[in-house]
Amino acid sequence: MAEVTLDSITKRYREETAVEGIDLTVRDGEVLGVIGPSGCGKTTLLRTIAGFETPTEGRVRFDGEDVTHVPPENRNVGLVFQSYSLFDNMSVRRNVAFGLKMQGVGRSKRRARADELLALLGIEDQAEKSPQQLSGGQQQRVGLARALAIEPRILLLDEPMTGLDAKLKRRLETEIGSLLDELGVTGLYVTHDQEEAMVMCDRLAVLDDGQIQQVGTPAEIYERPETGFVADFVGTSNSLSATVRNGEIDLGFTTYDGNGLPETTDGTVIVRPEDVSVGDGDVEAVVRDRFYLGERVRARVELPDGTGLTVDLDPSTDGAAVGDTVQVAFETEGLHVIT
Amino acid sequence: MSSETQQDKQVESAVEAGRQRRGGLHRLDVSATVGRPVVKLVLGVTLTFLMLPVFVTLIASFGTTWTGTLPRGFVNLENWRTVLGLAEGPGVRDGVITGLGYSAGLATAGMLVNIVVGVPIAYSLVRYDFFAKDIVNTLAILPIVPGVVLAVAFLRMYPEQGGSTLGLIVGYALLKSPFMILTVQSSLQSMNLQRVEESARSLGASWTRTFLTVIVPNARSGIVAGCIITWTLAAAEFNFTYMVHSAGPRPFSLFLYQNISRAPVLQGAAAVSVYFLIVTAVILILQTTGKAGFTTVERK
Repeated sequence: MAEVTLDSITKRYREETAVEGIDLTVRDGEVLGVIGPSGCGKTTLLRTIAGFETPTEGRVRFDGEDVTHVPPENRNVGLVFQSYSLFDNMSVRRNVAFGLKMQGVGRSKRRARADELLALLGIEDQAEKSPQQLSGGQQQRVGLARALAIEPRILLLDEPMTGLDAKLKRRLETEIGSLLDELGVTGLYVTHDQEEAMVMCDRLAVLDDGQIQQVGTPAEIYERPETGFVADFVGTSNSLSATVRNGEIDLGFTTYDGNGLPETTDGTVIVRPEDVSVGDGDVEAVVRDRFYLGERVRARVELPDGTGLTVDLDPSTDGAAVGDTVQVAFETEGLHVIT
Repeated sequence: MSSETQQDKQVESAVEAGRQRRGGLHRLDVSATVGRPVVKLVLGVTLTFLMLPVFVTLIASFGTTWTGTLPRGFVNLENWRTVLGLAEGPGVRDGVITGLGYSAGLATAGMLVNIVVGVPIAYSLVRYDFFAKDIVNTLAILPIVPGVVLAVAFLRMYPEQGGSTLGLIVGYALLKSPFMILTVQSSLQSMNLQRVEESARSLGASWTRTFLTVIVPNARSGIVAGCIITWTLAAAEFNFTYMVHSAGPRPFSLFLYQNISRAPVLQGAAAVSVYFLIVTAVILILQTTGKAGFTTVERK
């Protein structure tokens, strides 16, 4: 495994810029998630690391070594795609052993290694079958085993769970996540599904419009988003315009202690629904809509100045029906100001 | 995964239950009692209609006379001996068997040219987006023109190569190339070429190796089908051969023409039978080699 560094990578296709000035490091042994809406450039980054795209500007380094112009077959990267892309003309075992064969590993050795990986992924009984005979989840395991077999310097996963049904997806996430952890795999995990990324990845990079918005642990990204885009893209959030002056956050209808925050007249306060308490507080709001989500009830409430707010209600309380007036308060720790 | 299989089973039984609730079993009954026998009947009638003339012709070629519906006077090998040039007398030609071998060689060579040229063309048409792709696509199908048209152009363009073996091979390959390109194209379209290729390359395979060990084997069914069509059609191509061929062993189509147009009926029957037997043998050989040649099961 290796540390992979992207040095101010820019990729342009004719007039269109896919990614611009990307500086990013995947640390040795970590799985870095790249999340963002479709078309944000995340797949371009992955393909650049794999060697299928040559950056217009910038450098790709594996452990400091410049590999920008090394062809894909000499980079030793593992690739796992959404569409499995298994070789249908080979048995499952031969798929997994393919990379080792290319490396010149002898037959008995590569068979043993393939079987070992298949066992690790719990599909050793499928070794003789054709990939077409397997279910989607099994195919994805074969794809992963095949990529891991060559002991890649970095494992690149491009939306590997998309297309699997929700329940299987949740199970594979935790299973594969802990497997990658155990093996100490350096990985880049590209997905549009933030929940999946949070489960699978040690750190996340949020990408929008070809540029990195924020890099950090899932908790940092969720709790302290640095831009409005990150706050909006990751989880559900409320943005309120605010002024910070003399250590106070002024939301217009109420003020909070804003000690240590930079002063601004044109700031935005980000607050997650779970950081708004409903019941007793100093702000009045009218419930406009409520959605039952099982473990909680999500509601839209309207503040006196007409601002809409998404909040969570305790499902055990029958109060707060649509049209009711409730008291809300913000948890001070949950307030986060973006200037 | 056993739990996945279990889930599958649960889904299946749920689907089955739904079908029963909706009265689907009743519909299934109708399909089983009426639908399937009708399909079988239609298939049987069609096959019989198509195959009967071939079989009757084959049988008649061993007869002495064929004036009514059925031939008579069995078993008479004279027609076959005449056709194959083994008899003596008027209307018997020399070197027939050499001609048949020569012709099979021409068709095989044309087929091989089509594999070498057609598979890469089909691949690039499916895999890449490039300038003038539509034009190339059209040009690749254009050689379906009648052999006469191509023959005239050919003789004008390469007068000194016209009647040569090379001329015939190139002509056959060109005339039948669309069939190879179309069949290979459609079998390649069913796979996600780019993804499969990139997976193989990331695993350390060069482009050439990827093409030969992953792409080509996956296009097997299309290549085999293309081989069968190009071979069979090239062997029987009359127009082009008639116009271009000048000297040397007599190709297949001319052999058929001579035995059918200027000979007794039963001699024609024998010639047609020779053609069918050869074609059947070639199809069987191509199918078998096609399967064996791409075998993918790891030998233990």
